[in-house]
Amino acid sequence: MTPAILTERLTKRYGYRPGIEGLDLEVLAGEIFGFIGPNGAGKTTTIRLLLDLLHPSTGRARVLGFDAHRESVAVRRSTGYLPGEFGLDVRMTGRQFIRYFARLRGLDHLGEAARLAERLDLDLDVPMGRLSRGNRQKVGLVQALFHRPALLILDEPTTGLDPLVQDTFLQILREARSEGRTVFLSSHILSEVERVCDRVAIVRAARLAALETTESLLEKRRKRVTLVFSQPVDAAVFAGLPGVSDVASAGVTISLRLHDGVDAVIKTAARYTLVDLQVEHPSLDEVFMGYYEERQPWTA
Amino acid sequence: MDGLRQVWTVVAHELRGRWRSLLVWGVALGGLGALYVALYPTMSGFLNDYVKNAPESMRQYLGGLQGPISIEQWLEMELTTSIIPIALPFLVILTGSRTVAGREERKTLDLLLSNPLPRRHLVWGAALTMALSLAAVLGLTWVLTYIAVPAAGAHLSAAHLAEGLVALWPFCLFFGTLALLLSALIRRGVFATVISAVILVLMYILNGLSQVSRSIEPVRVVSLFYQLRHPLSGDFPWTAVLVMLACAAVFLGGAMAAFARRDVYT
Repeated sequence: MTPAILTERLTKRYGYRPGIEGLDLEVLAGEIFGFIGPNGAGKTTTIRLLLDLLHPSTGRARVLGFDAHRESVAVRRSTGYLPGEFGLDVRMTGRQFIRYFARLRGLDHLGEAARLAERLDLDLDVPMGRLSRGNRQKVGLVQALFHRPALLILDEPTTGLDPLVQDTFLQILREARSEGRTVFLSSHILSEVERVCDRVAIVRAARLAALETTESLLEKRRKRVTLVFSQPVDAAVFAGLPGVSDVASAGVTISLRLHDGVDAVIKTAARYTLVDLQVEHPSLDEVFMGYYEERQPWTA
Repeated sequence: MDGLRQVWTVVAHELRGRWRSLLVWGVALGGLGALYVALYPTMSGFLNDYVKNAPESMRQYLGGLQGPISIEQWLEMELTTSIIPIALPFLVILTGSRTVAGREERKTLDLLLSNPLPRRHLVWGAALTMALSLAAVLGLTWVLTYIAVPAAGAHLSAAHLAEGLVALWPFCLFFGTLALLLSALIRRGVFATVISAVILVLMYILNGLSQVSRSIEPVRVVSLFYQLRHPLSGDFPWTAVLVMLACAAVFLGGAMAAFARRDVYT
């Protein structure tokens, strides 16, 4: 099956400053792909390269089987895009705006616009100049989705949305996936990435730092293990175990970080009388933050 | 066919958004035209005396006027070589500068280009919008000005009035497409506007000065104001019109090439 997005050594430099460097990425058709990283890491640059708003310095990208630069019109015909920042013509209503875009797409109807507006609780007949920040964001979402694109490229899509609408929006993305459509979701709200994405790429300093399924990324995170014994136990017996770090002892309690399987820890703990055992799984936020620490969370 | 439909969609959208502005321009310039026509019977005697007694340099500045001033000369002096060619280009200069750089600055270009709209179609759309906007404003100016002719008891050929205004169409288009080119090249809408406007004003000043100063007379050919000649008096500047249209086409091609090659930023 043709990948929805395929980049090969994709590079964009702004003078000497790298925007994105040597990006190799494959986004499969029908998945929700999370693209995360801090501001300035290269997320928006990548998206703009995919849509031919920027031209690559070197490398290339293919979107839905089309060359992102030479065949950009074909790419955009099947793609819905929501930029991270966008302006709207404040004199127009949402309906007039969507109608204009529908005509540019050769459509004589507004597709899913009315249904989406209803689900997102958006009035399409109010001049956009009178809309709040959140409602303008909803207009942006509707224009990206109304023509049922095969690929959705969304840059920080939930900015300004209240939690209820965020939930609805994430549900819309899940429905798109279930219909076989692809979503490329750039975000730094990691909880939403964790909730909907099948795979996640992390970019750091203009380079791809990791590309994993969300599940395996979360599996690889360092767990915090807390062991409570019936009497004090020497912490040193745990410190030497493989994959164990940050061992701390307080009375009958020993806590440690674990980035490997728990088998060795459990077997060692079983030599004593264990009263309680807690394993805490950090959120994707913590995994993500680990990339910006000196040591990555799953390296020894 | 899809391309034509897309370009027309852009043009129709732009015209729909600015029809009030075009109406204001047309009514304002047409109203001025009507006013000057209405003033002609009163002013002609005074002007004849004025021109008769004016120094030679002043007569040259006024376009080498000799003898009784006709309504065509009066309208050329006050309207078609002064007010309209100074004011009307701004209508399209602003359109041109907003097409690429202006949209980029207002962060609306990303969304627009997320549609399957080739960049060249956007540029074509802007050029056609300019051409049609100018035609609409000049048409309205012609109608309102000509309405005043019988009321003023003046004798002015509708065809000559039309020729005088038609000559301004490529003149304004020249500056509009120049602004469009600059907008595609330099990413700052205000610079595209200012540079085009400065060139327009410099041409106006050069033409005025060249009529009173022999030292700069040879360079006045570069001023489009000089090239406009006297279409109201039957001296239609065919060569200048073709040159201006050719320049507009070159600017348009340049704008397409520049926009196609450059990155779009927000």
